[in-house]
Amino acid sequence: MNRRLKPSDIASVSDCLCHIGPGELTPLPSPYEDFNQIALSPLKPEKIKNIETSLDDTVAIGIPKPATKEEDEALVRQFLSGLKKLFEKENNWTFLQPLMLSMEHCAKCQTCSNACPVFEMSGRKEIYRPIFRSEVLRRIYRKYLKLGGKITAKLTGDLDLNWTTIARLAELSYRCTLCRRCAAVCPIGVDNGLINHEIRKLFSQEMGIAPKEIHEKGSVQHLRVGSSTGMNPMAAKDSAEFIQEEMEEITGYKVDIPWDVEGADILLLHNAGEMLAWPENVGAFAIIFQAAGISWTMSSEAAGYDAVNYGLWYDDVQFSRVAIKHADIARRLKVKKIVIGECGHAHKALTVIADRLLTGDLNIPRESAMVTLEDIVMSGKLKFDPGKNNFPVTLHDPCNVVRAMGIVEPQRNILRKIAPQFREMTPHGVENYCCGGGSGFAIMSGYNFAEWRNLVSSRKKFLQILEAFHDEPQEVPKYVCAPCSNCKGSIRDIINYYHAEERSSLYYGGLVELIVNALDGMKKPIIRFGDKPSWE
Amino acid sequence: MPQIELAGKTYEVDEDGFLQELDKWNEEFAQAYAHTEDIQGTLTEEHWKIINYLRSYFQQFGIAPMVRKVCKDNGIDMKKLYELFPTGPAKGGCKLAGLSKPTGCV
Repeated sequence: MNRRLKPSDIASVSDCLCHIGPGELTPLPSPYEDFNQIALSPLKPEKIKNIETSLDDTVAIGIPKPATKEEDEALVRQFLSGLKKLFEKENNWTFLQPLMLSMEHCAKCQTCSNACPVFEMSGRKEIYRPIFRSEVLRRIYRKYLKLGGKITAKLTGDLDLNWTTIARLAELSYRCTLCRRCAAVCPIGVDNGLINHEIRKLFSQEMGIAPKEIHEKGSVQHLRVGSSTGMNPMAAKDSAEFIQEEMEEITGYKVDIPWDVEGADILLLHNAGEMLAWPENVGAFAIIFQAAGISWTMSSEAAGYDAVNYGLWYDDVQFSRVAIKHADIARRLKVKKIVIGECGHAHKALTVIADRLLTGDLNIPRESAMVTLEDIVMSGKLKFDPGKNNFPVTLHDPCNVVRAMGIVEPQRNILRKIAPQFREMTPHGVENYCCGGGSGFAIMSGYNFAEWRNLVSSRKKFLQILEAFHDEPQEVPKYVCAPCSNCKGSIRDIINYYHAEERSSLYYGGLVELIVNALDGMKKPIIRFGDKPSWE
Repeated sequence: MPQIELAGKTYEVDEDGFLQELDKWNEEFAQAYAHTEDIQGTLTEEHWKIINYLRSYFQQFGIAPMVRKVCKDNGIDMKKLYELFPTGPAKGGCKLAGLSKPTGCV
């Protein structure tokens, strides 16, 4: 009765290709059983009148439906033109080689499927299988771009290319968080995460199709006003000034955030969202750097106070514009190196991916704050009283910092020194699970997408967090240390959605807050469980 | 783009109800919208003080201020602010003031 969905089914017109029914998601343990029969709230008819919704129970992009047959056909042609470019050296010099390898060599062994948290937690829905969307792209590529493809398609797997196929594929590229756990376990090195990234890229660069949170309100706004948050340079300075006052009030420590200091050793790049949503993170960095006598600065130039680079997730052109801007600001400030704060995707963007882009004097040394902080904490310059952090702590590994870059131990060395009740999640390190908010999901909340994230893509992380603290009494406050803005956003949403503060006394925050909390000489703790954070 | 009709006029809003055409904001908009944010009756002087503060901060800086800053600059505490805007200053307050929804990693 329940025929297994095949990649070719993506082309068959229907209202909904895949529906998750009540009770199909992986069950949650006590005291969260009441969430186990919950299904996603239905999309509101008045909000989805003219948009494509035929993939599943949610919408990430909201692609307008073509009004006429001609428009429909033009979009299919546009898609094919974009697809062709993905496989041309001059149009995709960045990722052509790994894309080709991944297109040609998948053995369909399904090792990746078992590694994917979205697929597993969804109740193993076929469309979320990592190779499902790759196979759709692979079949289109073979049939329409390869010589004799229309004939061999009958043997190697056929698939019709129509607007339904394309619209669903675009939405489907936003059901994967690009955590690349699939790529890490593949025995032959196929990267289904990369294929997904290339699909997003095709849609954005060729067809102008991307979620507004990461494009229009994200990278476009970043380049226009200086930050994806909408903060202009004045606002950044105003917020920082306020953070200084708050820090002094909270900890009793008088801190100065230095701006535009030419020749400083370090240019610190924060995700600007920290300034608005987690200002204590920005304040804690400043306290640590100042207390350790570091020569550092922030930049008040547009884009220089916002480390984000959303282009990493969906558009090489937007990515390059921002990366070059970041490097150029550091070059003109004549700093010795850039340090990237607690923002995972900014780590990968500026250190790894931008490495092919930044040449000559733009190739300024770039370092993870995990490493900088480890140096400071281990140097002996600062005195700590770990007893102040005497509560259960677990560590979330941001995929871009840990799996993508292999930065595993620095943050752990710090925690072992300052958090006596630190315990690992299972699994952790490069085998970690995504927070569920990767690749922009944490900031995407149109339609019912945030609910899909909380129920499906963040579910594995929630289970892991509960498991890490399962032997602790309910009323003991527990701290999930997540050194990444995006991860913090999704963990905050998990806690709210499942009422986990009330039910499990779960709290969350970054790494620097724990460091400052253990620092000798602070009058009052920076971590105050249960108090409404002063900025909410 | 969804639309809402308030006091006889039509406004474009996003799917969460935040005004999209910021220059179309007016006091009738705020008053007519108040009940959807659980504010009963007529907006008081205290409401207007916060709404005007939010608008002027937004005009200068392009963002809504941190909530703590709203309290400090207006000499009220968090409890009072939530009494004024029961759905929260970031949601209810900004919506009535005609500010757009916060963006970026917040």
